[in-house]
Amino acid sequence: MTNAAAAARGLAPIFLVTAFALGVLVQPAQAQKSGGSITVGQELDIPGFDPLKVGVYDTSANTAAASIFDTLVALDEKGELKPKLALSWTHSDDFKTWTFKLRPGVKFHDGTPFNAQAAKENFDRQKDPANKCRCAFYISTIISAQAVDDLTLVYNFSAPSVNFPGTQTIQSSNNVMHSPTAWKTKGDDYNRNPVGTGPYVLKSWTAGDRMILEKNPDYWDKGKPYLDRITLKPLPDAQSRFASLQSGEADIIWDDEYDADNIQKAQKDSKLFVNAYTGSGAQVYAMNTKSPPLDDVRVRQALVMALDRKKMSQAITNGLAKPASNPYGDGSWVKCKDDGALPEDPEKAKALLKDYGKPVEFKMIVTATPRGRTVGQVLQQFWKRVGVNMEIEQIDQATVVPRAFMRQFQVTPWRIVDLADPDPQMYANFKSGSPVALANYANPELDALLEHSRSTADVAKRTEDYCAISRLINKEAIWFWTFQNTYYSISSTKLKGVSKMYNGVLDVSYAWLD
Amino acid sequence: MLNFVVRRLLYLIPVLAAVSLLTFLIASLLPGDLAYVILGDQATPEKVAALRHDMGLDQPMWWRYLSWLGQVVQGDLGRSFRTGQTVLQAVAERIPVSIELMLLAEIIGLAIGVPLAIACAARAGGAFDRFMTGGAFAMLSVPSFLSAILLIYLFAVELHWLPATGYVPLTEDPAANLRFFVLPALTLALAEWPGIMRVLRSDMIATLQEDYISLAKAKGLKPSRILFVHALKPSSLTLVTITGINIGRLIGGALIVESIFALPGIGRLLVGAIYTRDLIILQGVVLLVASGFVIMNFIVDMLYAVLDPRIRHGHA
Repeated sequence: MTNAAAAARGLAPIFLVTAFALGVLVQPAQAQKSGGSITVGQELDIPGFDPLKVGVYDTSANTAAASIFDTLVALDEKGELKPKLALSWTHSDDFKTWTFKLRPGVKFHDGTPFNAQAAKENFDRQKDPANKCRCAFYISTIISAQAVDDLTLVYNFSAPSVNFPGTQTIQSSNNVMHSPTAWKTKGDDYNRNPVGTGPYVLKSWTAGDRMILEKNPDYWDKGKPYLDRITLKPLPDAQSRFASLQSGEADIIWDDEYDADNIQKAQKDSKLFVNAYTGSGAQVYAMNTKSPPLDDVRVRQALVMALDRKKMSQAITNGLAKPASNPYGDGSWVKCKDDGALPEDPEKAKALLKDYGKPVEFKMIVTATPRGRTVGQVLQQFWKRVGVNMEIEQIDQATVVPRAFMRQFQVTPWRIVDLADPDPQMYANFKSGSPVALANYANPELDALLEHSRSTADVAKRTEDYCAISRLINKEAIWFWTFQNTYYSISSTKLKGVSKMYNGVLDVSYAWLD
Repeated sequence: MLNFVVRRLLYLIPVLAAVSLLTFLIASLLPGDLAYVILGDQATPEKVAALRHDMGLDQPMWWRYLSWLGQVVQGDLGRSFRTGQTVLQAVAERIPVSIELMLLAEIIGLAIGVPLAIACAARAGGAFDRFMTGGAFAMLSVPSFLSAILLIYLFAVELHWLPATGYVPLTEDPAANLRFFVLPALTLALAEWPGIMRVLRSDMIATLQEDYISLAKAKGLKPSRILFVHALKPSSLTLVTITGINIGRLIGGALIVESIFALPGIGRLLVGAIYTRDLIILQGVVLLVASGFVIMNFIVDMLYAVLDPRIRHGHA
C-alpha cells in the first residue's frame, strides 16, 4: 500500500463520520417507508392485558400495549404533550376537574366506536371496588368519570391534580383504552385477546413464545403505522437476547445497564444502534429512621457522604449508570440549582460518626439476585472504609415489598420510576403516614411542601417546592439516591423512528425500516 | 407378570400422595406472602387481610392442602391468578415443547454415549478409553448455561448456521422446528452423554468378563457380534435406569436451557411462576412433572422386567 493510500484509508472513517452526522441532521427530511416486519426481543413473558387480571403492566406488556392500544395523550420527541385519543384538554381553576375533547371517528379493532362512554366504562371497571383491581391504587384520587356527550369526557378528582394529562401518557393498564364490548363478550378470555384502538391488531399469541401484531388498516392516524407486522418475543436471557440481535433474528431488543458489556459492545458496532434515554426518577434506598443507629441524623448523613457514586457505577455497570443527587433526575422538568446533595466526603463522614460516638452496625436488605448482591457488596465496602459495619440480608424479590410495608428493615432498596410528573411518587414516598413513606419520618414542613406542590399549576413555583423538598430530604438523609433511571434498547441501524423510552417503555408503534 | 404390574401400581399411590404433600409444602413455605405479591404497592393491612380471606390463605395449612388435594383428585388443578389460564391449559400448551426437547436431548445423548461406551469397553484401559473417560469427566463439569452460550456464539453469531433463540411449532414447519431445537437439545445432551457413556462402559467391561462371553469367544464368534448382541443387552440394565432418571433430570436442565433459548416449555412456565409467586401454577406444574417422573420410573421398572426375567419372577 502506498503512503497516500494508507492516509486515505485512515481518513475514510472521518469522512464517514461526517457524512453520518449530516445524515442525522437531515433526518427529518428522510421519508418514512411503509412495509416490512420486525421482531422485538423482550425480557419477560407477558401475562395478559386485562387490568382486572394482571393489575399493572410490566415493561414487556407496556411495549405491546403501546402498539395495540392508544392513550388519551402522548409525549412528542421533545417531551411535550401531544393529542392522541383526546384532541384537547382543559381544567377547572382548582385542578379538581379535567375535561377532554375526544377525537371523533375512532373505532376499536372490533369495529365498535371509541367515545366518552367507552372511556368512562374503562375507568368505572377499574374503580369498582367489587372488581378489586390492583390497578385501582393509581386512580385513587379520581372520584368519577363522566361522559358529558359523545366526545366530551370529564374526570373529577378529590385532590388537585395539576399534571393529570402528563400522567396519562404512559401505556399502563390504567391509561390504555380497551373495547368495553370485547371484555364483556370475551370474559375470562379477554386477558389474552385484547382489543384496542391502536396502530396494530393482535393477530396471534403463543404463550411464552411470540405475539404477532399486524397493521391496523383503519388506524385513525392516516398513513400510519409503517410496518406491516411486529413480532414480540420474550427472550429472558440477556446474553442470548443480544446474540439474537447480532444474528439478525431480532431487530430490536430491550436491555438494561446491568448488561453493560453488551451495551458497550453495541455502541462500538456500526451495524447496531443503542437507544438510551435517561428519564426522571432514580434508584433509591430508604432508611428506617425509627431504627437505631439510623434514628440519628449524623449516622444517616455519614452513610450518604461515604458513597462514591462514580466508582460505584464503574464497579457495577462499567460506568454506564449516571450518578443521582436528587429523586428527579435529568429526565424530569424539575431542575434545581441547589438540590442540597451532601458532599461525597469520607473524611466528613468519619467526623460525623466520631461525633456520634457509638459503633455503627446495621442490616441492609438486598434482593437475592446477582445485581442485588453486587450493589450490596459495593455499598458495604464504602461504609467499611468509614468504619461502619453493614450486614447484607439477601431476600427474595417478592419479599422486599411486604418487608418494606411492615417496616421490617433498616435500609431497603426501592425505586422511583420515570413518570411525567413527580407528584404521585413523591407524595406517596414522603407524605407522613403514607403506606410507602418507608423512612417512618414525619415533618410538617415536608408535608406542607408536598401539599403545595400538588395544588399549584405554576411550573416555576412547583420547581421551587420540589427543590426545597430535595434539599430537606438530602439534609435529613432519610432516603438516598444512587443512580438515575436510564433505559436502553439496542436495534439494527436499519430500524428507524423508535420513540424515546419515556417511562421506560420500548415503543416501536411508529417505527419503520429503512 | 400382571401380579407384578398391579403390585407396582399400588406402590405408586403413597408415592404420589407424598409428592403432592411435598409440592404443596414447598409452594406454601416459599417466602413472600401471596397477598402482598398481588397487592404490590397498595398492600395496606386491611386489603391484605381481605385478600387473604378471599383466597383462603387465612385457613390452616392442613385444611388448604386437603381442599387443594380434593380438587386435584377431581381433575381440577386450579387457575393462575395472573393470566386466568387453568393449570391444565398452561401445561398442555407447553408440554409438547419440553417433551420434544427431552426426547431429542436423550436421543443425541445416547447417540454419542452408547457408541463411545462400546468402543471404550472393547479396548478397556487403552489410549482411547483413557482419553474418553477423562473427556467425559471434563464434559460432566461444564454447566449447561456455559455450553449454551458457547454454542450460540459459535453456531448462531459467528457461523450463522442455526438460530440463537426462538421456536416454531412442529405442526407448522417440522424442518424449522428441528433447526430451533438443535442447539438446546445439544446443550442438554452434552451434559447427558458422559453419564450414559461411563455407566454403560463399566457395565460392559464387567459383562465382557463373564464366562459366557469367554465361551462365545471360544466358539469363534465375531468380536462385533459378541459386543453388540451378547454383551450389550445384559449390560444395558443400568443404562435404562439412567435414561429414566435422566428424563427427570432433564426437566431441571430445561429450566435453564428453555430460558436461554427462549423455548416456550414447562421450564419457562415454572420459572415465571416462581418469580411471580403464581402458586397455583407452581403447585400444579410441579405435581404434574413429579407424577410424570414417578410414572417414568414405573415404566423403567417394567422395562427391567422385560430385560431381566429374574425380576418379573420375583427372584431378583
